[in-house]
Amino acid sequence: MSLLAFFVTQSLNALSQAALLFFLGVGLTLIFGIMRIVNFAHGTLYMLGAFVGYSVARLTGSFWAALLLAPLAVGLVGMLFEFAILRRLYQREASAFLMVTFGLALVLGEIIRLAWGPDALQVEAPQTFAGIVFLLDEPFPTYRLFLAGAGIIVAVTIWQFLDRTRLGLLIRAASQNPEMVSALGTDVNLLRSAVFGIGCGLAGIGGVLAAPLVTASVGMAATMIIDAFVIVIIGGMGSFLGSLIAALLVAFTQVFGEYYLPDLALAFMYLLMLLVLVVRPGGLLGKEA
Amino acid sequence: MTERVGITRRAVTKSAVAGIALAAVPFWPRRAVAAEPIKIGMPLALTGPLGSVGQQLKRGGELWAKTQNAKGGLVGRQIQLFIEDTGGNPADAVRKAQELVERDGCNIFTGITLSSEALAVVPKLEEWKAIFVSSDNGDGRLTAESFVPNFFRSNISAPMGARAVSLFLRESEWQNVYAIGMDYAWGRNSVQVFESEMKRAKKNFIGSVFSPIGTKDFSTYITKIRQSGAEAVYITMAGDDYNAFLAQAAQYRLPDKVQLLSEVVDLTVPRAVGDAALGLISSMRYCFRLDNPKNKEFVALWQKEYGAVPDNNEGEQWQALQVLAAGIEKAGSTDTTALRSALETVAIDDIKGRVAVRKCDHQAVQAGYMVKLVKADGFSYPVPQIIATYPDDKTTPACNKMTFED
Repeated sequence: MSLLAFFVTQSLNALSQAALLFFLGVGLTLIFGIMRIVNFAHGTLYMLGAFVGYSVARLTGSFWAALLLAPLAVGLVGMLFEFAILRRLYQREASAFLMVTFGLALVLGEIIRLAWGPDALQVEAPQTFAGIVFLLDEPFPTYRLFLAGAGIIVAVTIWQFLDRTRLGLLIRAASQNPEMVSALGTDVNLLRSAVFGIGCGLAGIGGVLAAPLVTASVGMAATMIIDAFVIVIIGGMGSFLGSLIAALLVAFTQVFGEYYLPDLALAFMYLLMLLVLVVRPGGLLGKEA
Repeated sequence: MTERVGITRRAVTKSAVAGIALAAVPFWPRRAVAAEPIKIGMPLALTGPLGSVGQQLKRGGELWAKTQNAKGGLVGRQIQLFIEDTGGNPADAVRKAQELVERDGCNIFTGITLSSEALAVVPKLEEWKAIFVSSDNGDGRLTAESFVPNFFRSNISAPMGARAVSLFLRESEWQNVYAIGMDYAWGRNSVQVFESEMKRAKKNFIGSVFSPIGTKDFSTYITKIRQSGAEAVYITMAGDDYNAFLAQAAQYRLPDKVQLLSEVVDLTVPRAVGDAALGLISSMRYCFRLDNPKNKEFVALWQKEYGAVPDNNEGEQWQALQVLAAGIEKAGSTDTTALRSALETVAIDDIKGRVAVRKCDHQAVQAGYMVKLVKADGFSYPVPQIIATYPDDKTTPACNKMTFED
């Protein structure tokens, strides 16, 4: 394998992983930005996306149907949760949210285990992206190219949504001063529901897209939630652009770090976080804590 | 002043009552039950990346207890399982095991899932006066340098699995081999044994790499395997990590270039990754396709209960409990000392054929198998087909050893 081929394929690998990390991190950071809630259930909602995706793909025979319906279902579950439980707690201190979202993670995790069983389930990549392409004579799975592409599309969509739409404007405003937004006649509660739903839906997209790589399994929440938190902390809590940069940084460090120093594979992500926190305690684009 | 005294007196009375109640608790169940059940503790990794393995051990234990109890139990006593979830964490495994001893009164363990958990638990066995019959722990050190007298291993160990793969490779045309393992006790131990085997077999052992438990992206590791130029790669993985590795390796078309061989494979793997597991060659600790009457009976019983064929660790858990049962019957009790000396010479003829515990290091001596995953009628996923069997004296290392002489 030539050096160029190596760098091209590994960079594409890193991009595909960054996309998955971004789907989780950006939802978590949006929710934190507007609601000041650290959503511990985010990994479990990602897992729910994978399992619902499995069932939809199974029933309809189409991965695309799964990619459309599963995130909607996960977003709906998120909104219901916000409406039924979180809304009653906004006057409480932050620790209440930690307990409640952690509780949701446990309950939802058990429900998934009861409903789908304890064994990992197969979700096949869509037919269109099941093959390989040769990049500089090296075989590369088209599904990973698709993941990288999906990441770019979603990132641009969210950016345009936050920047160009009225709802995006309100979300940004509410994250800075919710009282003022409320005083100007906007229902902040509705806004919170919407953001929580969108954040959870993004985790659902991540779950469906990750399933062909890692299968749908009841262990996938625990391994992913930590990565998502690291992304949010590195990027700066509440920063959209921060979570994008952090996802890219973590993925590239992980892929190239694992290659050159495999014995430190577990440490790279945390070393990166440590470095960022020493230089910028609030994260790359966060406010100083 | 008087008020204060009153409160103090009430508080004293309250705590005294509570103290009496607490002290009395351990005594009343003994009076209520005629014959004390045989209490078996199973601190399992039911969740976490190796949760699928823990779940198998749970099913194996539960069906065995149910079947045994329907036959009237053992030595006139019913079997009672105490199942706990450790999450695959060694510190939690020790804590849960301790609770099982102190709170529930267990003096027998089985099913501890990860080798790292088992290695953390065995030093405590003497203090707890407890016996531990391993059904799953691969790490060779458990019957070598980390051996303790209260530990028994009924299952095929990592060195034994690595040995079966090595014997198979000796006969093959593949010369250049590489290895990948999960980065913890079992993976490291298995690859170490495999490396020593390959060197003695005059094969070219190119190198090895270890992936942390819970790795999600295997692209770097797959690249390393491709770049190594190996014709065959030896894999020591289980659970979610193994599924992710195989699914991604197939997406990279790795099996077109390199033959995948593994120390052990569960049916949960081909069920989760489908055709990505096709063509995999592996040693297996228990295979539902073993051709003997005891096994046919077991497979039928299992299918009736769970509607599926028994998996690798389910068979191993069943066998471990059959070994334990033979020990308890021989000892006539579950007294730790009596049970230990009985287990030291137990030999049974069960679902895997003859299995005999040896006194020197408490390893159960048994035959080894190699399987290949193929398509078969009646199964929606690739299933193992036995392609080689090696006699017990070929696959079991010498006493207290992890490597082989020939």
